[in-house]
Amino acid sequence: MKIAALGVFDALAVWAAAGLLAWHNYGLAAALLIGAALINYAVFNPKAVPARYLLPAFIAMAAMVVYPILYTMFISFTNYGTGHILSQEGAVDQFTNAYYAPPEAKEYPFHAYGNDAGDLRFLLITARDQGLLTRGGGATALEEVSLSAPGFKDEDGDGVPDAIGGYARLSRLKLISKLSDLQETTLSYGESVFRLKDLEKFAEVRKRYDYHPKSEVLTDLVTGKTYVPVKGTFTAADGTKLDPGFQNAVGWDNYLAFFTDDRVSGPFLRVFIWTFEWAFLSVFMTFGLGLSLALMLNDSRLRLRKFYRMLLIIPYAFPGFISALIWAGFFNTEVGIVNRILGAAMSVTIPWFQDPFWARVAVLVVNLWLGFPYMMIIALGALQSIPGEMYEAAVVDGANGWHRFWRITLPNLMIAVAPLLVGSFAFNFNNFNVIYLVTKGLPAIVGAQTPAGATDILISYTYRLAFEGGRGTQYGLASAVSIIIFIITATISLINFKLTGAVEEMSENV
Amino acid sequence: MKKAIVLFLALSLLVVAAALPAAASQAGKLLIWADAVRTPVLKTAAESFTREYKIPVDIVEVPFGDIRGKLATAGPAGEGPDIVVGPHDWLGELVANGLIAPIDLGSEKSKFVPVTVEAFTYNNKLYGLPYAMEAIALIYNKKMVPTPPKTFEELIAMARKLTDKKQGTYGYMLPGADAYHSYPIISAFGGYIFGRDAGGNFNPKDVGLDSPGAVKGARFIERLIKEGVQPRGADYNTMANLFKEGKLGMMITGPWEIANARAARINYGVARIPAIEGKKPRPFVGVQGFMVSAHSKNVVLANEFLKGFVATKDVMLALYKQDPRIPAYKPALEAVDDNPDLKAFAASASDGQPMPSIPEMSAVWGAYNDKLSLILNGEQTPDKAMKDLAAQVRKAIEGKK
Repeated sequence: MKIAALGVFDALAVWAAAGLLAWHNYGLAAALLIGAALINYAVFNPKAVPARYLLPAFIAMAAMVVYPILYTMFISFTNYGTGHILSQEGAVDQFTNAYYAPPEAKEYPFHAYGNDAGDLRFLLITARDQGLLTRGGGATALEEVSLSAPGFKDEDGDGVPDAIGGYARLSRLKLISKLSDLQETTLSYGESVFRLKDLEKFAEVRKRYDYHPKSEVLTDLVTGKTYVPVKGTFTAADGTKLDPGFQNAVGWDNYLAFFTDDRVSGPFLRVFIWTFEWAFLSVFMTFGLGLSLALMLNDSRLRLRKFYRMLLIIPYAFPGFISALIWAGFFNTEVGIVNRILGAAMSVTIPWFQDPFWARVAVLVVNLWLGFPYMMIIALGALQSIPGEMYEAAVVDGANGWHRFWRITLPNLMIAVAPLLVGSFAFNFNNFNVIYLVTKGLPAIVGAQTPAGATDILISYTYRLAFEGGRGTQYGLASAVSIIIFIITATISLINFKLTGAVEEMSENV
Repeated sequence: MKKAIVLFLALSLLVVAAALPAAASQAGKLLIWADAVRTPVLKTAAESFTREYKIPVDIVEVPFGDIRGKLATAGPAGEGPDIVVGPHDWLGELVANGLIAPIDLGSEKSKFVPVTVEAFTYNNKLYGLPYAMEAIALIYNKKMVPTPPKTFEELIAMARKLTDKKQGTYGYMLPGADAYHSYPIISAFGGYIFGRDAGGNFNPKDVGLDSPGAVKGARFIERLIKEGVQPRGADYNTMANLFKEGKLGMMITGPWEIANARAARINYGVARIPAIEGKKPRPFVGVQGFMVSAHSKNVVLANEFLKGFVATKDVMLALYKQDPRIPAYKPALEAVDDNPDLKAFAASASDGQPMPSIPEMSAVWGAYNDKLSLILNGEQTPDKAMKDLAAQVRKAIEGKK
């Protein structure tokens, strides 16, 4: 049974690897096969029993966490983005396959003839009774012929030969089925070059560019200008650039932009401080509210506890995207329900999305709504684990409720909850959804010349950097900023773990 | 054990054999990526093409917003389509990325409304077969506004009378911090985003956002706020919802809101955007069309399909019925000329300018919206905001690299 399951698994792995190889994705195919081999080893080798359980998790982590990070790192060293999507070969291909119609270009109706061996000859009709013909056998040179010459048979008398030598004229349908090959065909007549224009015609064209692979020089055959690759774009000496560009390694440029390009570095500190405040306040407020509710729900004097608990979990059960959008509507300055109520009760209108302070309040309120049920649930769970004897002993010692909370409940709670708070901090540090869906990072900052708003956190700022570049998207730069954010988040989390002693406490409890 | 290995090998071989042909070349077969709205119409066009040409056509439904991004990854990998549907303002990015190929409409070109061909022309080459165009116009609730205003002064006077915040009714609204919807006001005064070079192509080095016209336009927007005609916090959804509820007299937006107004049983009308200080507002014209992938192995077939089977009155009319946008194909446009909404939108489009399609526009939208919001909130004077905006856009385009 086990063996059969493994067989199926291996078959799937090999199938997927074969597919990847066919797509020239060798790296991923190799990784897949190595992973499969490791699993086989773990199953067949009795010594590797622990690996049987660890490996799947390990492989999943490699595929879903490590690989994206490595890929982001790779992209951060390239100029991948608008104008730099193709490989250099792909871009050169497009240039060398570019043709243009010279002035007074000639266009001729054409007919194709084939023999039993599948060999093709092309006849271009240049005038009445005259044409240009290829010899067949893959030849592309055109020769002048007279349509009344021997060997040309025009049985239906439409002026177009039905057969030439042993070659019979292709029907329209036959021709259509070969169009995709024909579009690559280049016929030559002296200096002139003809290419397929449409179903009926061949047209005279000229090559637009010439490329020397060794020197990497691209010459425009019309203007005579020469272009060399500069940072992924063919550039002339006078600065003219050609589309399309290509993907290119740019070394540390994207990271250096962080220090040299004030579009990136200018608002960084301000955004960073707000990100920190946002993450901290989010955790603090959600935990505060969640814990208060948990304490209330944990009190046996409260009736209908199950009902309340159910009710309070609803915000958590609701998809966050929808909640965030609904809240954005609630806070609408003109017609939002919040301002309507405030207007009716106190006749004030708060500029929720127009004023930086209120916009920040608004996103924090939304995040509080979305986050408190989670904190409530974990606090409820953790409260159950605090032994009741502790409270009894405290009561005997004369501690009041306040003391019991600060001396017993909170410290004991923290053992279980602290790592989750650190996780929540890291999560909110990169909480793109709430910011983007509620305020889009706005309101704009007066006098700023960079794409960062008052509620932008690092990750939403990165998003704007990526998509609001000077020339389309800049994935390379955005990847570099993401990597830097990753390093910052990882560092903060490490420090947090150390400070709260979360890791040590956990290992003691295990 | 032995059995297992045999089984394993057999299974492996079987699946390898099954997997390989999937990566084969797709020459001789057309693949089209279209969104849900266009797909059913294209299916009928594809059927007649297959009947006549004996070439299979696959139409894959791809969400409209995903087409551009997917083309960028699938195209160069050789897994992309032959034809995609998209708006003309993708051109700059698609051409810069080397993803689409020029097409040749030949004599068919004259059958299209000129502004649509102009929109799909980039670097002096035609990159798409246009099928529809759209521009924003004044949409009004006939119950509140019996006759549409001809000038903005009239509009302001009407809007003042109709606006009653206690009742929650508004006379006039357009999404405030929205460069696209505010553009007619800027352009009426001669303001522009990118100028054109001698060859008629958009010039990213000529940023007109702080030109005298653009600044005057921004001042006019500020005036609308100050007069209490344009509500400060108005965004697109607010506007659309108020209109559906019958609480908004006039809005400036596109034909996509007509279906909603109809569904809400609003007795609406469509008119040209009123003149501003005697000048004609020029909204952006967006054009939708079919483009051929640069990585297509069937360029000639794709061209034949578009020219012969899409650029026909029947198919163009079917596309119109599916999604009533102004046809770009003249025979189809003439056939639907009796629709008053369409006529009004077409009139507005004839005043308009094609939206710039150069990739540098990516540096404009967000920054422009931001600065408009600062004007709307009264945090910056229009003069200063537009100056900052132009500086920001220039900096982004010229860049440090």
